[in-house]
Amino acid sequence: MMDSVNLAALTENAARLGMRIQETLHEHTRDLSIARGGASLFDMPDDKNIGRQLEFGSDRERLEAVKRLIALTSKGRNVSNYFPQVVKNVASQDLEIRKLVYIYLLRYAEHEPDLALLSINAFQKDLTDPSPLIRAMALRVLSGIKVPMIGHIVILAIKKCAADPSPHVRKAAALAIPKAHWLDPSQQPTLITVIQSLLQDHSPLSIGSAVIAFESVCPTRLDLLHQQYRRLCRMLVDVDEWGQVNLLNLLLRYARTMLPKPTIAGDAGSESEDLDKDLQLLQSSAEPLFHSRNPAVVLATIRVFYYIGSPSSLCKVVNPLLRIQLTSKETERVVLPYISAIVHEYPHFFSSHYARLLVCTNDPQQVKRDKIKILLNLCTTENHQALLREFIDYADDPDDLVVGDAIHAVGQCAQRVPTCARQCISALLAMIRSRNDTIISNAIVVLKLLVQNQLHENPSERESRSQDPLKIITQLAQRIDDIKHPRARACVLWLTGQYCPSGGGGTIIDGIADWAPDVLRKAAKSFIAEDSIVKTQTLTLAAKLFVLCPSDHRLELLCRYVFSLGKYDLSYEVRDRTRMLTSLLSGVLPSVNGPQPEISMGEGVVLRREQVKKVLFEGKAGTADNTSLTVGHNYLIGTLSLVIGKDMHADSFLPEWLEAGIDPALRENKEDTFTAPALRSIASVSSSHPAGTAGITPIVLTPTNSTPTNTARETWKDLDSFYASDSEQSEPESTSDEHKREGGKEEDDHSDSEEDDSDDDGEESGNKSGEEAERWNSSQES
Amino acid sequence: MAIDGLIILDANGRPIIQSGYTSFPPAYPLLHIDALNNELAKAPSSGIIDPIIYVASGGGGDMPDGSACCHIQVREMRMLASISGDLDPLVAFAFLQAFHDILQDYFGTVSTVTLKGNFDTVYQLIEEILDSSGHPLTTSPSILRDIVIPPSLLSTLLASLPASAPSVGRSGGPTSLNNTGGAFASPIPWRKVGVRHNSNEILFDVTEEMRAIVGRNGATLASNVIGTIECNSRLSGMPDLLASFSNPNVMAECAFHPCVRLQRWKREQTLSFIPPDGKFVLGEYQYAPPQKVVVNNLPIPVALKPNIIIGELGGSFTVTFTSRMMKAMENVKIEWYLGEDATGAQCTLSGAGSGVGSTGGAEGSWTFDSRKKILRWEIPSMHSSGSRVLRGSWTSKAQVPRPAHAFQIRFELPSYSFSSLKIDHVRLSSETYKMYKGVRMQSCGSIEWRW
Repeated sequence: MMDSVNLAALTENAARLGMRIQETLHEHTRDLSIARGGASLFDMPDDKNIGRQLEFGSDRERLEAVKRLIALTSKGRNVSNYFPQVVKNVASQDLEIRKLVYIYLLRYAEHEPDLALLSINAFQKDLTDPSPLIRAMALRVLSGIKVPMIGHIVILAIKKCAADPSPHVRKAAALAIPKAHWLDPSQQPTLITVIQSLLQDHSPLSIGSAVIAFESVCPTRLDLLHQQYRRLCRMLVDVDEWGQVNLLNLLLRYARTMLPKPTIAGDAGSESEDLDKDLQLLQSSAEPLFHSRNPAVVLATIRVFYYIGSPSSLCKVVNPLLRIQLTSKETERVVLPYISAIVHEYPHFFSSHYARLLVCTNDPQQVKRDKIKILLNLCTTENHQALLREFIDYADDPDDLVVGDAIHAVGQCAQRVPTCARQCISALLAMIRSRNDTIISNAIVVLKLLVQNQLHENPSERESRSQDPLKIITQLAQRIDDIKHPRARACVLWLTGQYCPSGGGGTIIDGIADWAPDVLRKAAKSFIAEDSIVKTQTLTLAAKLFVLCPSDHRLELLCRYVFSLGKYDLSYEVRDRTRMLTSLLSGVLPSVNGPQPEISMGEGVVLRREQVKKVLFEGKAGTADNTSLTVGHNYLIGTLSLVIGKDMHADSFLPEWLEAGIDPALRENKEDTFTAPALRSIASVSSSHPAGTAGITPIVLTPTNSTPTNTARETWKDLDSFYASDSEQSEPESTSDEHKREGGKEEDDHSDSEEDDSDDDGEESGNKSGEEAERWNSSQES
Repeated sequence: MAIDGLIILDANGRPIIQSGYTSFPPAYPLLHIDALNNELAKAPSSGIIDPIIYVASGGGGDMPDGSACCHIQVREMRMLASISGDLDPLVAFAFLQAFHDILQDYFGTVSTVTLKGNFDTVYQLIEEILDSSGHPLTTSPSILRDIVIPPSLLSTLLASLPASAPSVGRSGGPTSLNNTGGAFASPIPWRKVGVRHNSNEILFDVTEEMRAIVGRNGATLASNVIGTIECNSRLSGMPDLLASFSNPNVMAECAFHPCVRLQRWKREQTLSFIPPDGKFVLGEYQYAPPQKVVVNNLPIPVALKPNIIIGELGGSFTVTFTSRMMKAMENVKIEWYLGEDATGAQCTLSGAGSGVGSTGGAEGSWTFDSRKKILRWEIPSMHSSGSRVLRGSWTSKAQVPRPAHAFQIRFELPSYSFSSLKIDHVRLSSETYKMYKGVRMQSCGSIEWRW
């Protein structure tokens, strides 16, 4: 007795020692893997040897040959000519060879459909293999081979696997459904029944894949979910992370289509929200997922709260969004457009969190621009000081586009919070003194907008301003030599022309401010070297000044000079503008057309000076700064379209709320009460199944050796109850959870008695409403 | 609405590994590779490019109208995922991250060499984690290890023998068909049954990172501390652990591994979980300072005094770095982007009082990365309240140089914690053995200091 115990202990120790040694060596070989055969296999050339090895070689040679084929594929070579030899290895006893053969098959079967048929038998045999791994793999490859001829075989296999005791195989079955549908679309009704049964699955493992199948085969049949909705909600926490994303999106769509919109019953003073019970269930089941480490799950949860949340729960999206923004540089890039879209709707959500969104110098360009856009939308009377300082700082950025956005944001600040307009203008004026071309030109463009808007305000308001906009124009005009950027020069010229008469007349030329004619002189001097937008503005300036004082000889000469230069300019835009202005001025400056006045005379209408003045000067009231900073999109949160700002032409849309939800009685599920017995039956199947090699009883969440003796816990049916139960002390809490569950059961019991009688009716109305929904969906799509 | 495919590019932009892309024309993956390579060629000297690139395709055939290439950088390589339709790009990035973590778990280091050497394993992995219709399958390393056998000593030895050697049969090898019973047998998705370790131990590594922005005037504009609790669990059987903290309220905005019982955390602020085997991230949190910190901003443990003069074709600078910590600070790195047109830099280093410049040793060292145009100043270790000075000048091709108006400061503080979070005790139930527990705290900072 003692000896045998000792012996057992000894062998165990020996085994452990062996494992330990292997582990250590394993660690070492990682470093040595450079010298391993793999690298050389990867770079081996294609030769005839491969075929021979595949056909006649030992297992090791075959393995090497398949590996070489995969390596060649990886390098972009087409190795489909080995297909006949590779197919022969599909039933190899070596799992590794088989897996690699599968990879090969999936890539090339489409091109060799006849030869691929040779492998079907092997897969069909594998579908009855005792190991769930082999069964799942066989189905995956079978459905992945794109040979339409085998469509019905695939569907039979799916049906078989959908009833498999292992959830992993059922998962594979669910994933095979979209492919079977692709192979043979006429089989949709059969597949829908399979999906229906898979959606009733009690293991959280396969639900995510069942949702994928649903979305790709029958996305509009939301009526199939009535009975499952509540169960799916409760299951949400236990589904794997990728399944959670799919399931959340599906439940969101269901809720928008089938549940009543949350409304606010606004009694005087006290606001009470009217929230549907099922909507509440979805929210409360989704809320724990805010704690997921996977940003995609968190975002799917945010979508649920943002698009179906009651107004009071909407703000719950703020902190999770800010959290996943920090996960990595990439998630930050993706999340910012989402934040931006939310800020556009609800600026107050984030206004106290602006510090979390400040620009860093090593952010990528797009991130910086998105952040500036968000910060601008967050600008309020409380935080404008800090934000304005930020924008001014960003104007020093090494990236030109960011500089442009930052300076435009300064201008927008002045318009959003008028009290800081003066600060903004002095900041912009300081920027004009910068040595950097980009800063100067952007600052002038923004200044122009600000000045223009101010000049068109009420004169009484203008009085109150300490900084006269006209003074700014004067300053700009005097600095015209320093302003190099074409757009900025054009701007200054335009401002000069437009506002020179409003300066209260001049001392030298009547009706024109003193500083204006000199600007024209300088512009005329450098006309030939200018950019075409500067040329057109010079022409406009000349026309304006001349119309203001046609009697001045110097102005007339300048005007003629500029016009004759413009007439022969290389750019058709400049020539066009010259033509337009000369004919406009033909009444005031008849000889402007030079030696052949008769050509333009006599045709068209000749305007008098007053009329020309009206044409040139009026209708220039304040314009909005329509840069990208202020434009919002209508794309949904959590879509690629929003992130890259382009329509991806995907048909993903969020259904509008229905007026009233679908009758909640449809969602009563009598099966909820029978969950436990149903589970037992699955367990018994698995134990009687020949495949019972290694306890395929996934419903039991702890292995038998550690299952506590408490009998009440044997009814664990999901991870949730598993979590709730506690192995050491907290008896009360687990009972409280059970209370809840029992409460639920009682409720269902009630409904059950009603539903048993009217079962058929219930189904009928279910279908009807489903049809309604479908019709409605299709009308939406069209 | 799915991930169309997965490609890994080497340092030269050539594909090493490429998933099936079976539902797309062969040109589709090539378009994505080209798009990324073009973008990299156009990148500014900092090498930072948009992680999402829009890929326009002419349409026609099975080609999606428009698609996007989401990519992450892993050492010298790029991993890219093609997506089309209106899939949330976060799914692609979360998936790439998961894929990278799996590769790391399998091969230790993820590099061109290890991937090429184990390309067969990588392909098998891709097959298991990404369905051919583009939906992520299982990404839990614990399950994957049962399905795809990691490269082991035995397979390595076998592979190194000449293939023609007839005596070595593979039927008894670790991958024979009879050996798949263990796969898919575990009741909980993140841990397999029958794990055995000789010595049972669990180690907690708490790392806190301070991220802050300091304004021109030296005032903190934004600061935030993010903590990560990493675990290395080597426990046998199905250990049920309970970890409690002496000050759990410093943790806010938590995110946990799926194994953590969230109800329990919500109610008692303790972590109750059955850990996966091996290394994993148990949770993440943000430091919520106690109420008495009136200003929302945490004190920054370092100070920088830059004095910069920008002239024509270059400029000069004097930068003083001071540690405000009582503890030693390690691996201080200060980076400054000198602008696209920068051509070179010349600096001298000195301690606070010594005035003697030296390049290397305790004084630190400086380098100018002429490709990225970054001036890097490294100080291997700083003693409490010490300070260092870097003086120098740089040259530039531009008449008006445009250096970045901020320094990036990084530092490490071994065995220090900003939040002073403390794990009180870790209790094991459901198993009878004794286990060794260990907790290690460390902190680092990455601070943007504007001037």
